[in-house]
Amino acid sequence: MPKTGSLITYAVTRLILSLPMLFILLTVVFFVLRVIPGDPIAALLAEGTPPYIVEAVRHSLGLDRPYWEQYLVYLAQIFTGNLGISIGQYFKGQSVLAVILQRLPATAELTIGAMLVASIIGVGTGLIAGVNRDKPVDLIVRLYGTIIFVIPIFWLGEILQIVFAVNLGLLPAQGRFSGLDPPATVTGFYTIDSLLAGRIDKFFIALQHLVLPCLTLGLVLSGFFTKTVRANLLRTISSDYVEAAKARGIPRGRIITRYALKNALIPVVTVLGLQFAILFAGAVLTERTFSWPGMGSLLLLSINTADYPMIQGTIVVYAFIIVVISVIVDIINGLIDPRVRY
Amino acid sequence: MKAKHSDPKRASSLPEIPLPFLGRLIHPLIRERRSLAGALSWMGLGILFFFIFIAVFAPLLVPFSQTQPFASPVLQAPSLQHLMGTDNVGRDVLSRVIWGARTSLEIMAIGVLIALAVGFPVGLLSGYVGGKIDRLLVLIMDSIYAFPGLLLAALIAAVIGRGVFNIGIAITVIYIPLYFRVTRSQTLSVREEPYVEAARALGAKSHTVMFSYIAHSAIIAIPVIFSLSSADAILTAAGLSYLGLGLEVDTPGDWGRDLSDAQSFIGVGIWWMSVFPGLMIVILTVGLSFLGEGLNDIINPILRKERS
Repeated sequence: MPKTGSLITYAVTRLILSLPMLFILLTVVFFVLRVIPGDPIAALLAEGTPPYIVEAVRHSLGLDRPYWEQYLVYLAQIFTGNLGISIGQYFKGQSVLAVILQRLPATAELTIGAMLVASIIGVGTGLIAGVNRDKPVDLIVRLYGTIIFVIPIFWLGEILQIVFAVNLGLLPAQGRFSGLDPPATVTGFYTIDSLLAGRIDKFFIALQHLVLPCLTLGLVLSGFFTKTVRANLLRTISSDYVEAAKARGIPRGRIITRYALKNALIPVVTVLGLQFAILFAGAVLTERTFSWPGMGSLLLLSINTADYPMIQGTIVVYAFIIVVISVIVDIINGLIDPRVRY
Repeated sequence: MKAKHSDPKRASSLPEIPLPFLGRLIHPLIRERRSLAGALSWMGLGILFFFIFIAVFAPLLVPFSQTQPFASPVLQAPSLQHLMGTDNVGRDVLSRVIWGARTSLEIMAIGVLIALAVGFPVGLLSGYVGGKIDRLLVLIMDSIYAFPGLLLAALIAAVIGRGVFNIGIAITVIYIPLYFRVTRSQTLSVREEPYVEAARALGAKSHTVMFSYIAHSAIIAIPVIFSLSSADAILTAAGLSYLGLGLEVDTPGDWGRDLSDAQSFIGVGIWWMSVFPGLMIVILTVGLSFLGEGLNDIINPILRKERS
């Protein structure tokens, strides 16, 4: 079978296999929002809301119909891209999907930046630790990997705000943009949009606002990379082909970067998929700490304003993103490690 | 590695009689106490017991009653009277931090114990029975596992409402798949062991094989994920409170909410409101993950030895 053909087959198979996962996640969301004991509408609306209003809201959302009917309508709406109309005070009457898509780039910009920070710091520290196995620096890095991973993200954010924004005054503590008008929306990424508009000044403003949130989220996530890269590097360093390279007199630095590290990174990509779950959960907290107007803030806002369709819509979009990312990670895996495909 | 099988001493020795669960855990802990992994475990245990002590004796330890706000002047910096200062409504930060240990440990205990009670037997069953049920359960658990835990917990918390018990329930959903996965993979690896085969050959019933023989072996993997999921449970519960989805407003101690309240005062240099509750979370979670990683390094070689 030709090589490209098998990759496409693999990608398609993987895509089809992701459908049950999507289906399960959507079912879980349905189950949580509509079936488990508790009355989401009553819980969401302020206490003391007259029962007839609660009833009216429930009726208007179709929540008084039988579960199976609700479930079919729910799935049908999602797969036709109709996530409903907001009933919250901020977005009343607007399309849920449109509001979410407006917020999506902010979250994407934050998470991509954080992933960059995490990979750079994580691979760097993991490499240092692995090369200096059992020396003091290895111990310090391992300690870092363990501790940074269990630091509350919002606390780290507050400490960074105290140090860099309040005491040193170097970076903004809140928001995505300040001073000038944000760049005209093309992609929704402020950094890219300002460059497209040819405004270097706006680009730097956007970048400044990104530094602390991305650092906060990225640092916490880096602990995982540190540990995984170190463990895998130790394994590849002791493997036969590295021994062979040593025997041939190839310099140690070159062996590490060209031979060992490259293979040590493959297993990191394999488990990368699950890190996105932590990344998105962390992003919700980071968005709150830095008043970042992304999907996490939107979800909180909708919970606080009893915007039931928006809550459901946001979670459904998160589910879609998680499934898509897991497919992409698997395909990248198949690309860099052909053994995965069979 | 390969030489092991031909080792004559091993071949002639009788099969080891497995110790009871606690013995299998505590013996290596004592034996390994001087190694790095052992030291980490004991340090983690020490930290955990310190927090349990604080939580149990909180009413006796708090220097100030927490029920009424404005009992003290607001926003006092740390002093001899208020070792960690006071917050924006005049409550003693130290007292709130101590009460916080109690609520945090309560939520953690509810969350991880229910996850264990559900995840362990289901994982056992799934791994032992196999077939279509197993595949379906794995698919469901893996899907939930891939979803951001905090988001799912936030959704559940928003539906079922506030309170220690409800938050415990909300976070338990995150950890059930974890216990399921670990128990299932342990079950798969011991299912074909000679002693299990022997029990089956001697006519032991399925549930006896499962809950006596396999469970006995599978449970040894639990302490590690118990510690690690406990650390995560503390973080997630604090996260929910921080997002405003956690406990009732009048809860005497709530680290996550304290950090959320502290946020508005960071800009004016009130550092003590955020530093101290955060430090408590960090010390406890670091302790739990030391325990988890130490145990992992101690128990994994034992597991490997038992199987070889």
